[in-house]
This record gives sequence, C-alpha cells and structure tokens, in this order.
Amino acid sequence: MSGPRDKEKRPEEPKSEKEKHFELSRMSRRKMLKLTGAAGAGTILAPMILTSRKSTVYAQGTVAEPQLCPATPVPQSPPHTPFVDDLPVPSPAIPQFLSPAPTKAANTTNGEAARDDHQRWEEFTPAVTYQLEARAGTHQFHRDYLPSYGWGFNGQYPGPTVLNAYGVPSLVRFKNSLPDPTQSFGTPQTTVHLHNGHTGSESDGFAGDFFDSGLFKDNHYANAYAGIDDFGGFPKGDPREAMHTFWYHDHLMAETQNNNYLGMNGVYLVYDQTDPPWEFSTPGSLRLPSYYGVTDFPLVFLRQRFCPTDTTTGRTEKFQVVGAGAPGTDKVSVTGKIQPKLSVRRRKYRFRMINTGVAALMSLNLVGPDGLQKPMTVVAVDGNFLHTPGVVSATSGFPQLDIHVASRFDVVIDFSQFAVGQSAYLREVGTPQFVSSPTPPDPAPGLPIGNVLMRFDIIGNAIIPDTPPIPDTLVELPPIPPAGTYFEWGFRNIAGNNPPGNFRVTHSAIPENDANHDATFLPFDPFRIDHVVLKGSSETWAIRNDTMLGNWLHPVHIHLEEGRMIEKTICSVPNADGCNPANRTPVAMPPWEDGNNARRDVYPTQGQERFVIRLKFRDFVGRYLIHCHNMGHEDAFMMVRWDVVEDLATLRRTREKINAERVARGDTPLYRKEDMG
Amino acid sequence: MKRRAFFTSFAGKPPDEQFKPARGSPGPAIFTNALLRTHEDKQVRFYDDLIRGRHVLINLMYADCHGACPVVTERLLKVYSELKDRMGKNLFLYSMTVKPEDDDPAALKNYAEMHRAYGLPGWTFLTGDPYDMETIRFNLFRMDHIAIDLDIYAHTSTLKIINDGTNRWLHVDPMASFSTILRKISWADPPKSFAEKLEANKKLQERINKEKKLWGYRKDS
Repeated sequence: MSGPRDKEKRPEEPKSEKEKHFELSRMSRRKMLKLTGAAGAGTILAPMILTSRKSTVYAQGTVAEPQLCPATPVPQSPPHTPFVDDLPVPSPAIPQFLSPAPTKAANTTNGEAARDDHQRWEEFTPAVTYQLEARAGTHQFHRDYLPSYGWGFNGQYPGPTVLNAYGVPSLVRFKNSLPDPTQSFGTPQTTVHLHNGHTGSESDGFAGDFFDSGLFKDNHYANAYAGIDDFGGFPKGDPREAMHTFWYHDHLMAETQNNNYLGMNGVYLVYDQTDPPWEFSTPGSLRLPSYYGVTDFPLVFLRQRFCPTDTTTGRTEKFQVVGAGAPGTDKVSVTGKIQPKLSVRRRKYRFRMINTGVAALMSLNLVGPDGLQKPMTVVAVDGNFLHTPGVVSATSGFPQLDIHVASRFDVVIDFSQFAVGQSAYLREVGTPQFVSSPTPPDPAPGLPIGNVLMRFDIIGNAIIPDTPPIPDTLVELPPIPPAGTYFEWGFRNIAGNNPPGNFRVTHSAIPENDANHDATFLPFDPFRIDHVVLKGSSETWAIRNDTMLGNWLHPVHIHLEEGRMIEKTICSVPNADGCNPANRTPVAMPPWEDGNNARRDVYPTQGQERFVIRLKFRDFVGRYLIHCHNMGHEDAFMMVRWDVVEDLATLRRTREKINAERVARGDTPLYRKEDMG
Repeated sequence: MKRRAFFTSFAGKPPDEQFKPARGSPGPAIFTNALLRTHEDKQVRFYDDLIRGRHVLINLMYADCHGACPVVTERLLKVYSELKDRMGKNLFLYSMTVKPEDDDPAALKNYAEMHRAYGLPGWTFLTGDPYDMETIRFNLFRMDHIAIDLDIYAHTSTLKIINDGTNRWLHVDPMASFSTILRKISWADPPKSFAEKLEANKKLQERINKEKKLWGYRKDS
C-alpha cells in the first residue's frame, strides 16, 4: 500500500505508557475471564473456530488507484454466471492489544483524533480491544469479474465481524489509512458509527467528528444494556433492552454514500444469555440457530453497478456517476458476491439481513423449487427480538419483507421443508438485476433469474441437531416509555427553488402546527443544535414525511436509543405543506413495526405518513443525530443534530439559546414556556 | 497566447505545471470541451481553459431567477470574500446558466453587476450552446432521479467542488453554514502533511475542551 501509512511516523511513546499498557492488558484478561465465568471466553470464541468459509481478503501491498470509466452513456455491468460463488462469511475480528494503550482522554500526541473524554470509562474498562484499519484494497465481486477497487476495514469487504458479549466492554480502534490523495470517488476522512449502539457521543461516529488519514480514533463500546443508571446487576442495564445485530459503517458528513458504496462497513454482533453463540440448552437461551458462519449468516446487501472489465488495468471497477448521487444500479451483491449460493442442510438457519444501501429498499421473500413462495420467520428487527415472531409467507398477510436502508432483519428459514437435492431461492421483488444477455432461463417456474439474490442448495440431512421450534413468545419487551414532551420532525423534499434547498428536516414542538415548523429549512450543521433533551427523560416524537405518496420514502434513523412506534397514520387528503389533523387516518402496522411487539431504530416513513414514537434517553450525554438513512438524502443534509444534556439548568439554557437563534433568523421560537422543563 | 500570459502573470510558473490534471482525471470525456462564452463575452473551452488541473466551484443559476439564485449568489459572495486571497489564483468559481437560450453574455454581466459579483477575479459566469450546457449539467449534476434531473431548477441549490488536479469531486449545499462550506472546499485542496494534520487535530481538541467548559457536556464517573 502506498500512502500515508508509510510516510507517517508516530512519535515514540514514553516508557511508562508501555508499562501501563501491559498492566492494563493483564488486568483485562483476568477481568474478562472473571466476568464471563464458566461459559467464558472460550465459548465466545467457538464460532470463530467453527467458521469454515472466510471472505476474500483484499490484496495486500500497493493498491493501484482506480480509473473511472466514461459516465455517458451509463455502462451496463458485465454479465455474470449465476450461482457459482459460495456465500462469503466475513471473518471475525481478532482481539488484539493496542499500542499506544487506549486512554480516557484523546491521545492526540500519539495521533488520536480529537474527541471528548470517554464516558463511563472506569465503569466499563475495555476488556477486549480490536483494531480495524480503513484502507484501500480490491475485492472480487464475482468469479467472472476482475477485482474491483474499494475501501474496507482491514482491507476487507465487508469488514471483519466483531463478535462480542454483553458484560464485556470493548474498544475498537478505527485507524484511517485511506489513500490521501485518492483518484477514487471516496473521501479519505472518516468517522465510524456503530448502528445502533447505546454509545457515548464521542464514540458514536457523529457525522461532524471525522478525522484525517493517518490518525486513529478509539470508539468505546460499553456492551451494556440501555438503562445502566436504573438497573444494577450483571451485565449492567435492563436485559429487556438487549440488541444483538449491529453494523458499523462510515458516517462522514456529506460523503457517507460514496464511502459506504466503496465498502466501508461491517457487522458487529453482541451475544448474551438469551441469544448465545451456541444452540444447546442453557438457562434463558432462545435456542435459535446461532453458530456464526455455520448456521447463522450475515447477509449484507449492496446494490451496485460496474464498469466494463478492463484487462489492461486488471480491474472491473465499481461505477460511479462522477460527482453525482447514487448510480442507477443493476447488480446486487450479497456479503460481497453477486448471486452466490449456499449449501445448507435440512434444519433451521438464521440469516441476519442488512441493507447497506446505498439508497434503495429491498423487498424479499423465499421461493421454493416449485416456484411457490415458502415461509420464513422474522425473529428480530433492527437487532431487537420481536415479542411475537412474524411470518413472511403467501398466506400470512405479509408476502414480502421490506428491508429499508440500514434496517436489519434476523430471519429464520427452516430448510427441512425441502427435500435433499432441491434448491430454494431468495427473491427480490422489484426491478430484476441484469444477469447476462440473453437472460438465462428461470431457475424455478415463474421466477425470473434477475430477481434472485441467492440460491440455497439443500445438500443433506442435518448433522448439527436442529434447534427446537421457534417459541411463540420470544422475549418480554420493556414497557413503552411514558408520554413526554412532544416533538415533531418533518422530513421534506423541497423541490422548487424558493426557499432554496432539497432534502431537509424541520422541527416543531407543537403537534401538527406548521407555523411552528421552521421556515428557513436550514441544512445540517454539526455546530447547530436543533433539539435538546434531558438525560433520563422520555419524549414523544413524531416523524412525518411531507412528500407525496409514491415519491420519496425516508428510512429515518435515530441514534442512541431504540424507539417504540405507537401510532402510524397517513394523510387521506395529501398535502405537501402539512396535513390537516382531521385527515390523519390510522394505518395498521406489521409485527415488526408495532411498538407493542417490536423496538426499532429505523423508521421507514412513506410519503404523507406520520409515525408517533416514544423514546427514553438514558445513560449517555452529548451530540446525536436523526437523519434519513437514504445515504443520498443524508449527504444532502437531511440530517439534524440533537443533544442529550445532564441537568435541567443546561437544558433550559440550551433551549433558550435555540429559541433565540431561531428568532434571530426570522422563525418563531421553538419551545413554549411549558417546554422549558 | 494571451491567456497563457494572463495565467503566468500571477502564478510565476508555466500553466502546465501550475494546473496539472490528476492521473485519473476523466478530462473532457466527462467535462466536455465545449466552447462557452463568459459574461465578458470571451470564448473559452470548458475543460482546457476552465477546469484542467484546477480547483473549481461550480453552481447553476439563471439571470431571471427570483427564488434560490439570488440567495445562493449572496452566499457565494460571502464565500468568495472569505477565500478572496485564493480566488483567481488556485481557486475558481463558475456560475453556469441553466437557461442559455435566454441568458446571453450581456444578461449574465447584468446579473453579475446586480449582485456586486462583477469584476471579481476568478468568478466567471458562463453561457453557451443549450446542448452543451445541458450536457455539462447532466454530466456534473446528475442525481439519477428522473424527477430531479429533468427539472432544470432542481440543481440551483448545489455547489459542486471539483479539483481536477487531485481528482476530487464533492458537493455542498450553498445554504449550509460557512464553516461547512469552507471545510468541504478544503477537502479538495491538495493533501496536507501528517504534521499539519496533527496540528489541526490538536487545535480541534482545544476547541472541544473549550466547548465542554462552556456547556458542561460530560459526565465523569
């Protein structure tokens, strides 16, 4: 690799620092063993040993920069042969000791990016540490393709999967070794968000907290349940707040789309007693398919387009419409391979589906060899177990599973419904991807090959005994937070040119009162606070999408806390300037949206729809974000900063400041007297 | 020849060295080398004379615009004054009309004068053949969304930041705060040395500490 890594010379660390580091590492090991007890570290590492397939590692050494192919006319991706590559499994991240040792305050003298001190550092001393280095590399997306240039963590796409356990705090050192300058369409600054970690602001990957190539940043993950302040015990926090499937990704202000499209994301799983990394019976275990890479696979979806294969450069480069938004895509990669296949046995498997975008929705269902739809069971959404699992089948009323950008769905498929030698298909309902010309025949009756994302080959009977049937009730959810201060977020697409702007978030503290929504439509500014909440308080938030139905859908993402949807309405008399409250008609919510059954962190809001959610802000303070996770919209600044503060005095002071700023730019004050706390 | 003399006069280097395109630059294939006219009624080649190896800001406007354009131009004027020392030397600002059939060089000159943007070195208003202007708009500002791409007004609120010398392509909303706009423009600057980055990082840490003191955003357990 040519670039900043070689040039950079880190100042020599003082000796005492090294000694401290050794002391810390000894302590951490002891602590970790003590904490994890009998079912300890060895068992956590078990899935690593069981992993049979590793994802392709980016080529090491010097990586030649890409050459962009002509953008007009837009090229068609090269053809590919379906179902030749095996589904890759991203290799687990290997814990390692870090030098210089992680510190509570930013170690700026040794090249750490500037940040606030880590919150709750003494309470959650990192017991396990990782280094994930963002760097350039190449990845082959299909056997018929040459490698494509990309950026990945540890040079790998998707990045290494971090396997953690609740109660074992971790620290991930994100090192930025991206090429600067670069000929690619990415931007070599980065900030990494663990989606949706219950994380201190300084480790949350706030969009404005990006750092330059050559620096590193330590993100501290407590791996504790939300509610640390209210619940003691071990692991700390409310166990009903458990989340299991996370993903980490670049969150660079205004350039998230390009950097993610280049491959800067990966999977992060956290296990606990309810969802351990094994399947045999242990107290409290749900006994779902859980051997990572054996019966439990992440499926990381990414829509792409490729340039024609260039044999002189030895590349099939990713296509990007130069300098513009999302490219119209004609290929979908699943965990880094186009139309892969997976050999399965007649038993249950778990798939953790993540739509990494960059912009479009994925609608999925399962099709059998006879061309008929087969059932699959949704057990978790956005990393949270459902109270009652939902079924996606032709008869359940949910014929397809809509996975919006950044949403995660844990889906269990029982392959014992098929005979040995048969194949099943994961179908994407929508525009088929381009396979080759002429189009190969349908793999199953009525199933166009372009609509197939991957194939499952049933190769035999189960060797590892099948898990018991999925229970009717998975988990008890924590109570829905009480109604608090009302706050409304309007997601708007301003199409005209007066006021200038395109994708904006407006806000109001008065329900359905357009006069109170700010009229200046300011874009995101990392230095401007648009809302402030008190730590430990709960609020009622409404998310409304004011575009017309069928136009933009906004998958809204809220950092820090999971929310509960208590109401979903649509405007029966569409109005782009806000709905008359009398016209709000209730819409039924599927089991993976209804707040009585599910907890979410991505709220997919269609045009003219409005969600009312309840949130409680706990344990951490600082700057957080609410934004549309269509990365093109996010980059166009459909994003807002909101803050959590520690005490009432700061809350009042900040709310008064927000009011004054709004009045100064010609808007009405945001907060009324009674909102001042 | 005259142009060459014009550039060498302030650069002190032959133009080929001062404005060297990046190896991966798409060149005229994307930018086109269309023959355009400036608000001073000079003929220029879009790639060769305006883009080649340069760090440029491009926005779209039209003279008879009463919505976004005046507001955006007003903001650009402030950005311009902020970066005055660089403008015309290693940073250029181009305002391109989306209505070339209406906007002749005189109309652009009129618009520039109206907004006090006339006679500022490095800020050029451009018009040309409607086909060429449309091609440039599509190649540089396309969003791959039919409703946005066919609406000529939709891009008036995007400021493109392109450095052909480092092949950096960025965009920013001109309504974003000045710190955001300036930061994004600086992302297309030639890369800084590691020492410079460390220094900037240290300054940022000082600012964070200051902000913390002011707002008490911290819980030390």
